[in-house]
Amino acid sequence: MEKIRHFIEEQFLIEFDESFPEDSDLFKEGVMDSFGYIQLIRFLEQEFDIKFSEAEITGGVMVSLPQIEQSVAQKIAGRAAE
Amino acid sequence: MCGIAGIFDPALPAEALGSRIKHMLAFIGHRGPDGAGYVVDDGFAMGTVRLAILDPGAGAQPFGDPSGRYWLCYNGEIYNYRELKAELKGLGCRFSTQCDTEVVLNAWITWGPDCLTRFNGGFAFALYDSETGDVFLARDRFGKRPMFYARRGDTLLFASEMKAFLAVPGFEFEQDTDQLSSILGQWTPLPDQAGFRGIENLPMGQWLSFRNGVLTTRTYAELRFGEGPEVASEADALDLIRVRLMRSVELRLRSDVEVGVYLSGGVDSAIVAGLAKDFASKPLSTFSVEFEDAEFDESEDQWLVSDYLGTRHHAQRITHADIAHQTPDAIYHAEVPAFRSAFVPMYILSKRTQAEGIKVILSGEGADEAFLGYDLFKETLLRDAWDRLPDDVRRSRLQKFYPHLAHYGPEDIAAVTGLYHQFSKETMPGLFSHELRFQNGRFSARLMKDPGEPFAAISRLVVSEQEGYADLSPVEKAQWLEYKTLLPGYLLSTQGERMSLAHGVENRCPFLDPDVFALATSVNLKFDDGFTEKRLLREAFRSQLPDRIIDKRKFPYRAPDAAAFAAERPDYLDLILSDTELAAIPFVNAKFAQRLANKVLNRPASEISTKENQTFLYLLSICLLNRTFVRREGLRAPKLPPLEKVINLKQQVETYSSQGNARSLT
Repeated sequence: MEKIRHFIEEQFLIEFDESFPEDSDLFKEGVMDSFGYIQLIRFLEQEFDIKFSEAEITGGVMVSLPQIEQSVAQKIAGRAAE
Repeated sequence: MCGIAGIFDPALPAEALGSRIKHMLAFIGHRGPDGAGYVVDDGFAMGTVRLAILDPGAGAQPFGDPSGRYWLCYNGEIYNYRELKAELKGLGCRFSTQCDTEVVLNAWITWGPDCLTRFNGGFAFALYDSETGDVFLARDRFGKRPMFYARRGDTLLFASEMKAFLAVPGFEFEQDTDQLSSILGQWTPLPDQAGFRGIENLPMGQWLSFRNGVLTTRTYAELRFGEGPEVASEADALDLIRVRLMRSVELRLRSDVEVGVYLSGGVDSAIVAGLAKDFASKPLSTFSVEFEDAEFDESEDQWLVSDYLGTRHHAQRITHADIAHQTPDAIYHAEVPAFRSAFVPMYILSKRTQAEGIKVILSGEGADEAFLGYDLFKETLLRDAWDRLPDDVRRSRLQKFYPHLAHYGPEDIAAVTGLYHQFSKETMPGLFSHELRFQNGRFSARLMKDPGEPFAAISRLVVSEQEGYADLSPVEKAQWLEYKTLLPGYLLSTQGERMSLAHGVENRCPFLDPDVFALATSVNLKFDDGFTEKRLLREAFRSQLPDRIIDKRKFPYRAPDAAAFAAERPDYLDLILSDTELAAIPFVNAKFAQRLANKVLNRPASEISTKENQTFLYLLSICLLNRTFVRREGLRAPKLPPLEKVINLKQQVETYSSQGNARSLT
């Protein structure tokens, strides 16, 4: 999961700290736009060998680092259970 | 078209102000290379550099009334001056020239500030009442022509461009961090913002009086929607669009010098060129920028329009090197931070236009705002209806937006839909239409060490500025915001008149005619759903232009941004890469700035997002403005055009019976 944090920090030129906590909404803070969101989804799918459904992508849940990590963890767990 | 400047300083006698006003005018000499003139009085001086367009032999400025009481320094054109002149003659006014300058002066003397609502044009002027010592400044309703002013103690300074203040002893430029944050957030300055502390931008549609040391501003024209005629059918709407635009172009062709047209390759400028051609007695001259980089090039359509209309076309090819090398000069003329590089080619194009002997051009600016040409308006309609629409409709509509952005294509549309879902409810009161844009602006605001609240000023503007704003529809609010931000703050200024006047070329915009605006805002969305942009405008001119132009999707005028600088690596990039240089600008977040610059300059262009490109251009322009205006490094020697008129009111004893003879009366 550290990779996700690292990707976001590098890709969006931010550093998670007291002034920018991990649970910040990446859309609302202007960190992630449509272009960045697509880059993120592609990275997660490739890096973790998972595939998000359209509902998951459009569901509006992956807006902060903890939520993204949780979504990825669930996908990986789901894959293991199959 | 001209440039004006003035200084009110009760401590200085007339004799001391002559050299000062000349120095101020020299800094804006590019705006009016045909001649300079000024008037001085005890405690006051103002002057004009003049681009002679109407009655060139008789229009020397400052322009006084026969009594010598009122003096006018005037920039721009009042296109309906002949009609106003006839009306003023009927009221007993007498005229000695064919200039609109004389009409403006008489209109003010006759009607006072009420004259402003009668003016159809782009103008800014300063009027001095030598009997009372009062000064009035005014600016047109859409913000076509600029007027900046600054108070320093008892002193009032004003000028068409802020660089005139560089001539004032003791005047220091300091970048205003709150305003910069606001500009970064919303792409452009707000109507009253100038980007420098203590310098005010007189907003569009306002006039200012300076009387006994008291400064007062008043709004004479608010932006009101739907005040056009009642239109019963689409056929009537199309007829009216043709009639009003034809009249608007005809008015803007009033000139004693040849008028050309800037062709973008899109439908708006093609309509303007088509109408202008019908009035021209010889082949119309058209001008365009072409790009070496095919992603930005519209030359095929520009030549198609030129061939179809039979114009004498001049194409200026733009390379990455042109952009990289001309940016510092272009930013000096723009004076405010820019979010894209597309103004630089316009700087180069105006130089070409001047070289071809053309002083006046028409262009298509204002059509997208009036007739709903931007995807922003469709985006607002869609987001407003989001919760009522099934997912497949949302997606199919989204897919038609922003054709120049690859990620709106079918492969990634699910993710884009997800993003829009985040923005389907208003969270910034009054700013719903622009929330997506403004979220990207938050990224740019990170260039500031302390960005504060970038949207505080624009939030105040929409709740306080205009009565009735809250009652506008979401799309009308979007239009209102465009008319107050991107149009005057970038398109008409940085990309428009600041670039054209850098080389003594005046630009006129037929779509910014009050009658065209009133009509457009009365017929928009009345006969369609708004998802085919500018449909009524296109249909109105379908028979007069090739279908390929009429049906062409909006192709935003853009130029290579960071890619041009990455390819050319001009020396001045040190300003944004070097620790020492960045440390000289204490309000910039140097760490973020360097990370951004290194990413943008070293990664492939396909990996750089729009907002990163924009933020890079902001950073570069803020640093260049700091170098030129704050540190005064690399300033070119100012050049005063030939002096053609000097009035010293303290020495003047003659009666001003003939304006034509009132030259050099010191």
